[in-house]
Amino acid sequence: MLPAELARFGAERPWVLWLLPLALLPLVAAPRRRAAWADLAAVPPDPFSRALAGLLRAAGCLAVTGLVAGIAGPYRAGERVTRTGIGAEVSMLIDRSGSMNETFAGRQPSGAEESKAAASRRILGDFVGSRAHDLFAVTAFSTAPMLVLPMTDRHDAVRAAITAIDRPGLDYTNVGRGLAMALGQFGAASGDASRVLLLVSDGAAVIDPRVQDTLRAAFAKIRPNLYWLFLRTKGSPGIADRPAGEDTPQAAPERHLDLFFKSLRVPYRAFEAEGPEAVAAAIRQIESLERDPIPYVEVRPRRDLAGRAYGFAAFGLVLLVLAKLAEVDLARGRAGQGAARAPERRMAA
Amino acid sequence: MSEEPRTGADILYLPRWRARGNRLGAHRGRDAGGPGTFKDQVPFLREPDARRLDLRATLRDPFEGTYVRRFEARKAVEVWALIDLSASMRFRGTADRMALAGALCASLAASATRIGDGFGLIACDAAIREELFLPPTRSRAGAALAARRLAGAVPAGASAAGLVAAASRIAGRPKLVFLVSDYRWPAALIERVFAGLAFHDVVPVVLADPAEAEALPEWGLVELEDLEGAGTRLVLMRPALRRRWIAAEQERLAHLARLARRHGRAPFRLAERFDPAALSRHLLGA
Repeated sequence: MLPAELARFGAERPWVLWLLPLALLPLVAAPRRRAAWADLAAVPPDPFSRALAGLLRAAGCLAVTGLVAGIAGPYRAGERVTRTGIGAEVSMLIDRSGSMNETFAGRQPSGAEESKAAASRRILGDFVGSRAHDLFAVTAFSTAPMLVLPMTDRHDAVRAAITAIDRPGLDYTNVGRGLAMALGQFGAASGDASRVLLLVSDGAAVIDPRVQDTLRAAFAKIRPNLYWLFLRTKGSPGIADRPAGEDTPQAAPERHLDLFFKSLRVPYRAFEAEGPEAVAAAIRQIESLERDPIPYVEVRPRRDLAGRAYGFAAFGLVLLVLAKLAEVDLARGRAGQGAARAPERRMAA
Repeated sequence: MSEEPRTGADILYLPRWRARGNRLGAHRGRDAGGPGTFKDQVPFLREPDARRLDLRATLRDPFEGTYVRRFEARKAVEVWALIDLSASMRFRGTADRMALAGALCASLAASATRIGDGFGLIACDAAIREELFLPPTRSRAGAALAARRLAGAVPAGASAAGLVAAASRIAGRPKLVFLVSDYRWPAALIERVFAGLAFHDVVPVVLADPAEAEALPEWGLVELEDLEGAGTRLVLMRPALRRRWIAAEQERLAHLARLARRHGRAPFRLAERFDPAALSRHLLGA
């Protein structure tokens, strides 16, 4: 493990590192004024001074090492580290049909009212920020699916993608192709991470039987947890409502989509939300359900270590300069007096 | 150094023993004869010197013997300076140790030769430095020259063990020996040197320097380098350490003083500058 760690360190100018033996110089000599002394054995022993001498020696070594290393330009190479956190791969499939721009009451928003798109934007945005290691993909669909953002852990980008979903929507609701693209967002080899497909829509549409087969195959392969957040407009038919007349997919697309999902044999829950609070509650529930370990990749950029090396060197140099400033001369105080006394002696003689 | 070093005052010294020998000088001798101080009375037959008849003693004697006064002879002594030339003598604090030693020797040479005493000089490091050796001489010029040579000498030795050899070289009649050193020796060597000089009247002259104790700075960082090659040492001066340091130095000097007194005389502390009058007071026991 350790050699692998070391192998990530490098230098811009490795040949400068040949100067590193210079760091041993402070062990040999110190640039301090030396006071000649008659008998060192008579100096009282002082552990503190000895420790200080060792410290200054170490500071000298540190300063030289830091300077040489700093000049060599050390860095730690960038890398991708796979770690395990709590989270899930979430592929969001968001309805961009025109009706999403209406309120839950089925009107154009006015004043303080919030459209369905705005409410889901707000609440999904909070969801994205709440856990660090979730991976998100965002797909929108109306007549055709739109790939907004592939699977990523850059939550800022995800939030930006979600912010964009309350732009005025387009026409129809083509949920089949949207589901196919959202399934395609899951990567191939994500191991045992839990996968969540979150469908946010305010209506449903008939899925072509041929497309249904394709979807079944894809679901069987990927096996995501499927959540359908159904933003129900007041008065419109719910998921469980049987139509009064003939029970065909055309007459009750929501009910039949639900039935289709149930027939997929993947974990599936549908949330019928009739207001922003209900949406928030549903999201909280999803959040609490998806708590599995997930491997995620942390990208560590290449880091320049020269600043740190110079920092160490500066620390050592500051210690040395302080020591230099603290130096005193033994006989300095008397030197002037000695010079003053000399003529007097001559006169006396 | 071309100028004749003139010392302000002579060093006055009193030997602690009665000198013998046949060389007349300035000190009280053991033998009778000459114009010295009164010594005793002896019968005329023992000292038939009619000029010194002691009439009072002669009249007082009930057996009517005749008495003669005797007087002490004035004798010359030999004054020796034994100089330690180990490298620690190169220490230069407020004063240069070798300059102090040189001034002392010059003054001693002048003082001794002026009253007819012989002056000899032995300088030693690990062995006797023969080029500085001066056999006892009464020649004033010769003694002064040797003292000057000494002042220019460079102490380099790692020890002062040659002083033991010097002690055996001056064995014989008692002499007045000035043992000039900073006494930064192992305790065993001090004992041996004092023991080797036990027969003589030894005046220990301790070269000290305020920079070694009292003048130490309160605060600061000092790197000390041993003159005798025992390496270097970084010392952070602070008041507590300075107190300990001065106490240790005083303890060393006190121990040396005890030892020196046991062998005769208290040591004379020579620091900062040489004052012959102070040495005279010390030697006369004031």
